[in-house]
Amino acid sequence: MAPGVAVVSVAVAMAIGVYAVAVIDGIAGRLVAGAGRRGVGVVLDPPRTVVLLLMQRRHRTERADAQGWALAPALLGGLAATGLAVVPVDRGTAVADPGTGFVVFATAIAFVMIAVFLHGWSPNSLFPLIGAYRYGAQALSLQIPFLLAMLATALPAESLAVMDIVEAQGDVWNVVRQPLGLPIYLMVGVGVGFWGPLNLPDGADLVGGTSAEDAGTDRLAWEVARAAMLFAIAAMGAAVFLGGWWGPLLPGPVWMALKTLCLLVVMVASRHLLARVRIEPFVVACWAVFIPLALVNIFVSGALLL
Amino acid sequence: MLSPLAAALAVFVCAAIAMVALRSASDAIAGVGETAPERVPFLGGHSPEVHAWSRFHARYYVMALLFLAFDMEMVFMYPWAVVFVREGGIALAEMGMFITILLVGVLYAWRERALRWA
Amino acid sequence: MGLSAVASRVATRAPVPVFPVAGLGARAAVDDLLVETRLRIVDTPAAANVLLLAGDVPSGLAAELARLHDGMSRPRTSLWWTLGASVRPAIRCPTEVRDPDPSILVDAVVDVHRRLLTGELASSYPQLPDEDAAPWRGIGPYGQGGTGMTGGVPYGRPMAEVAPDRDGLRLDQLTVRIGPFFARFPTGLVLELRLQGDVVQEAQLALPAGDVPMSGVATTPFGDALGVPVRVSVLEVERARSHLRSIASALVAHQLGSLAQRVLRLAGKVRPGDDHEIERLHRVLRRSQVLGWATTGVGHIAPERLEGTASGPILRASGVARDERADDPVYGGLGFEPIVHEGSDARARLAQRLAEARQALELAGRAGELDHDPESPLESPRGRLAAGDLPARRVLPLIPSLLEGMEWGDAVSTVVSLDLDTDEVLALHATDPKVSVP
Repeated sequence: MAPGVAVVSVAVAMAIGVYAVAVIDGIAGRLVAGAGRRGVGVVLDPPRTVVLLLMQRRHRTERADAQGWALAPALLGGLAATGLAVVPVDRGTAVADPGTGFVVFATAIAFVMIAVFLHGWSPNSLFPLIGAYRYGAQALSLQIPFLLAMLATALPAESLAVMDIVEAQGDVWNVVRQPLGLPIYLMVGVGVGFWGPLNLPDGADLVGGTSAEDAGTDRLAWEVARAAMLFAIAAMGAAVFLGGWWGPLLPGPVWMALKTLCLLVVMVASRHLLARVRIEPFVVACWAVFIPLALVNIFVSGALLL
Repeated sequence: MLSPLAAALAVFVCAAIAMVALRSASDAIAGVGETAPERVPFLGGHSPEVHAWSRFHARYYVMALLFLAFDMEMVFMYPWAVVFVREGGIALAEMGMFITILLVGVLYAWRERALRWA
Repeated sequence: MGLSAVASRVATRAPVPVFPVAGLGARAAVDDLLVETRLRIVDTPAAANVLLLAGDVPSGLAAELARLHDGMSRPRTSLWWTLGASVRPAIRCPTEVRDPDPSILVDAVVDVHRRLLTGELASSYPQLPDEDAAPWRGIGPYGQGGTGMTGGVPYGRPMAEVAPDRDGLRLDQLTVRIGPFFARFPTGLVLELRLQGDVVQEAQLALPAGDVPMSGVATTPFGDALGVPVRVSVLEVERARSHLRSIASALVAHQLGSLAQRVLRLAGKVRPGDDHEIERLHRVLRRSQVLGWATTGVGHIAPERLEGTASGPILRASGVARDERADDPVYGGLGFEPIVHEGSDARARLAQRLAEARQALELAGRAGELDHDPESPLESPRGRLAAGDLPARRVLPLIPSLLEGMEWGDAVSTVVSLDLDTDEVLALHATDPKVSVP
């Protein structure tokens, strides 16, 4: 694919995805809250807030790490874009389909920890710093269940190319073959995107955590990057678990969009339905429950393939 | 035309540059500059007595060590996943043994309360 | 019309980011602002354009208030919602709203914000002079702000010192004072903490010593009930509201802001006999895990430590059936039995308040024309209430030892679960004799 086309298509997908996250979040919030303003607010508030944040002056703290503060959302956004780039939209259609697409995506997920840490470290302020280190514990615990859940989908395809993984789901989707995989993947996805119940680095108990000192476009860039990351995770989940473009009647890309939207709704709505988890029990649960479950998932689905 | 990996890299670089540009956009619109008290980190009204940057006591360090062991295991699992169907039961048994040994380690760490820190 | 004019018109229609400070007698009104979709209540000043001061913010907090104001990014302004208070806040507020009606306040905030963005209203100036807390630039052999290789003290702040931890290691310890405007705590609560990592090594209350004036309390039906007969149904509905507001704050602390809005709406409209509404809420809270993984085992207080200190829901959530209403013949006639929960943790306290809110509405439905006798003992939503005997004063001393060894998130959940009354905490800062009602 020509470089220009690649970059533009990812940019368009990201913009749509970020907007979708904001709108789904608004709708879910209003549904859970009961009454509230009806009408166009839910679709217009996100762009209005973008303009508002553009007009707010950025905030600097004393002795801040200015470069780190600028790079953190850039890194997170770049990782989200890279993750999105390796997700195939239709048979033979992907911005980038390296033979190791799976590894590229997993690398992007692993580096999120660096972005969040950098974001919390840079302001030289207590609450962001606690959030940064807390995400260290969270990300290290999430990494293994995430890789195991995703890797199980590579077994039937006998390939680490995402296109091959989707192609191998022609008869039966991986969500049926490996019923444990998708729930673990979604839980980890919410955790990697530090959203809702797993928004521990930017949590309410830290009054915003790593983004507590963010104002204006600092906040905007960080929120955009995080929403893009959630979207990339939902898109990859749709490809490797829900059969990507496979589906009757409708063209492949439409199926892909619908499936991505479904997973996005589940992930985004969790913010309004589930309480924040405590970091320590969460770490224990990851190691003592989710890793063994993910291993059971990979070995059972492996044994069934033989 | 770009190779797939180069395309992914190009996307990464462009997105990162776009995010930096977005972040810097407000400097032109909303201006820059603040007084010394405006730069004081927020703690709820009081100013901090020491800088936040410190040798932070990351009490989950034992878990981080455990992670290293599992991360190495993941390196083996990538190629294993590709050849798994071809190799058959022998691959399943080998990886099963390897993982079981690691899992016993996790259970031991769990029993020793290495996964909790407060 | 230029691009910037278009932009500011678009931005004025976005929800206004507001950092609220609840002063004396303003906590409930400020909490209820969460349901206003035209405002976005934010937790840090950096995210806010409007600083909303509600009620009477004691002048003892003037320095912290000025620092809070300067922490907001520009454009910014502050607005005073008087709510009956007469003493002006310590910082200049270009706008004042005297009407207690929240919709009028929201209109005023939106209008102030619009004028701020279009440039009609100037962004407020810094309250504090543009000086470093301690001059340091250019000092030292390399201009690093001190002497020696690591001796720099930029901004007058040294690096953290080491202190022993319980594993016998010596590691950096941060000493910080959190509050008085920390969004999760009642206004005025200041905790001086020694933190190692995210664990509280040591906690202390940083409150001025002295007698607690009975200010603020007089504005609620429970304050009135100390002096004059008040309808039991009025008291019980107020109790249910107070408990629901406390549950809403806990929901916000557990990142369920939209569910908190629902609870606050319910608190605003409950009537005697609405106990089935609470029943439905209970199911929702269980599903959200606020009554599950998020709170179970958090902030456990041994029941014997509550002996002689806390009363009210905190005590009853530890299995002790002590309630002043049990000794009141009026309540006896209504067939009142104290509710208790076991566990003595944040979960038990939430469940206790929820069950008591339900019981209160049930009692209110049956109480009819009955009055509470001012001579009878009085059970406020936070425990035994008498002249000079405030629940917060008995609960606050528990906090330091309770927080020791806790992870920060659990520490916050614990303080939230104690449901400290902002007015009672703020009264400790009140230096103005006018606000202290005997």
